[in-house]
Amino acid sequence: MAAAVPLVSERLCGDLQQAISALAWSEDGEFLAIASAGGELLFIDFRAGCEELLRGNRDSSLDVVGFSGDGQFLMAAGQSGELLLWELGGTGIRPMALDPMPLGAGWIDAAAWQPGGLLLAVAAGRQLRLWDGASRQWHGQPLELPGTIQALAWSSDGKRLSACSHGELVLWRPWAHSPSDPSLRHTIPSAGLTLAFSAAGHHLACGLLDRSLMVWPLKDQGEPWQVSGFPSKVRHLAWSDRSGRLAPLLATASAEAVILWTQLNQGPKAWQPEPLLWHERRVNALAFSPGSTLLASASSDSTVALWDGAGQLLQPLEGRGSGFNALAWRPDGCHLAAGDAQGRWWLWPVAVPMGARLRQQAGGGVATRS
Amino acid sequence: MAFTSAVPSAERLPVTVLTGFLGAGKTTLLNRILTHEHGLKVAVIVNEFGEIGIDNQLVVDADEEIFEMNNGCICCTVRGDLIRIIGNLMKRRDRFDHLVIETTGLADPAPVIQTFFVDEDLRDELRLDAVVTVVDLLHVQQHWQAEEVQEQLAFADVLVLNKVDLVDDEKREAIEKRVRAINPVARLLSAHKADVPMDQVLGVEAFELERALSLDPGFLAEAHDHEHDDAVGSVALAEDRPMDLDRLGSWISGLVSTRGPDLFRMKGIIQLEGKDERYVLQSVHMLLDGDFDRRWKEGERRRTEFVIIGRNLPIEDLRGGFAACVA
Repeated sequence: MAAAVPLVSERLCGDLQQAISALAWSEDGEFLAIASAGGELLFIDFRAGCEELLRGNRDSSLDVVGFSGDGQFLMAAGQSGELLLWELGGTGIRPMALDPMPLGAGWIDAAAWQPGGLLLAVAAGRQLRLWDGASRQWHGQPLELPGTIQALAWSSDGKRLSACSHGELVLWRPWAHSPSDPSLRHTIPSAGLTLAFSAAGHHLACGLLDRSLMVWPLKDQGEPWQVSGFPSKVRHLAWSDRSGRLAPLLATASAEAVILWTQLNQGPKAWQPEPLLWHERRVNALAFSPGSTLLASASSDSTVALWDGAGQLLQPLEGRGSGFNALAWRPDGCHLAAGDAQGRWWLWPVAVPMGARLRQQAGGGVATRS
Repeated sequence: MAFTSAVPSAERLPVTVLTGFLGAGKTTLLNRILTHEHGLKVAVIVNEFGEIGIDNQLVVDADEEIFEMNNGCICCTVRGDLIRIIGNLMKRRDRFDHLVIETTGLADPAPVIQTFFVDEDLRDELRLDAVVTVVDLLHVQQHWQAEEVQEQLAFADVLVLNKVDLVDDEKREAIEKRVRAINPVARLLSAHKADVPMDQVLGVEAFELERALSLDPGFLAEAHDHEHDDAVGSVALAEDRPMDLDRLGSWISGLVSTRGPDLFRMKGIIQLEGKDERYVLQSVHMLLDGDFDRRWKEGERRRTEFVIIGRNLPIEDLRGGFAACVA
């Protein structure tokens, strides 16, 4: 199955003491932050060629990490329920920790910076809160959901924010809507577990606990599609940022199955599945290489698989026998970072095939093999 | 609905669910579990931080959140907070070897139990070891009408009758009798300040089919009178003649589909017509599990014993339905 010319032929790796839980790159690709289930936070500065452990092993997990779009702040949060922030001074300068902010809402595992802005959205129990990096204060009133927020996502233009709980999904424009505006609330049949906007912002996808996927067409405000019959809860989602004929390629992960979805029409059965069946155990992360249809999937079977946009397995990457938990592509689309359950992080330079990168936009989601 | 996991139970992390009405002594028992030299690293999920102040222990707070899975049927409700928190916690699996979940005093134990069988991640990574209910011997009679108290008694595998030093024998015996009428299969332990032997509450394996009925093999020998009109009660059924698997199967599925919400737990050892092996089965609401376990031993009395614990049980109907399954 593997391509004749390997996509990956070298690697860089290192170890933390506990399972890697999250990875994030800065927008310019110069910094990589790696968090562990033991609360370690490793900061790697590639330009300066140095790394610093911002937090050591402390028996309290960190589960989410991210850089603000302008590279000014690094955020991390987890089991302690505190929002942790560091101010970054640029390459070669040691990050400076701000005072931790306890949110009093238990374990935090969902938070995200606004693309192109300085708002940080944090899921604090049932409240969706916004911290403003410009004023260094909480912004406005929190938006309250009926249950604990399971996932949140920003649109790539940074104007819309979505979050979901059991029974409800909200689609919020923090500048246009008051948090009490009922029009931003949508009923969902179960608990939403994962959310993602397509790059152009025309679609919002939500993976649900009841083994289904919902996709909202945002351009014409139509009714959402719901696709059910997945082998298990729909745990992860990713959109390719290359546009397709009607929608970009969407990838979902449910148990050990990755499925690529192509929108064929506007009708009730618009979405055509292409199952990518190769992983032997649960898939824990999915990510398309920026600017391409090359998809990486990380699994508990201790492999990361690289797929083309037609669902061909291009190359499996072997770990060292422990499951992979997290993935993050460098914004250049040519380096893939991954973390495993034993605390090892990996960095692979990836030669993205031309077919995945320069695919015709009219291809309708069916890419040619490289 | 599937009850068991494809993953061997030895590879899954054992979970103890600790229930009990307010003030019964759950926290005391929890502190004993955490400080006892049993060599286990225990992680605890609590619903409210009480007086658990033990260093170097993994204690996580979770807010009880019920997820209804299908049209609000009680049989399909799970604890959404546990799915999320345990999912996060399992990344640190090498840090602990036993998980204890303390429920609030007013909690119905069913959604907690069902979470471990319904959620596919938890089902494959953990196994329910036992439901341990702490009973306050001094005050339980005042709370007896509370539905939560009866449910907590009914779902228990182990009942810790706490504060035994504060009641006389007569009162204790009366309570034991009433508890036994609700739940004839649980292991009963008397305790002073929750001082129970750790191996009687941890590592019980009450949900492993082969051990499901090993706790109190003589449970049917005791005659149970129904002098109390508690809404929650039990029926013990026994039969020396072999049973017909097809008839028994359709009777049980019929019961589960019509009375699922009122059937809390069932446990049974069945003698089947034409089989040299015992058939064992158990259920929690609508979740059913059954299999052959071992051959009847030489000289062993071949006999079907079946216990149903539930709410508003139509005793005569159940006896009739059961009798009709004789081969």
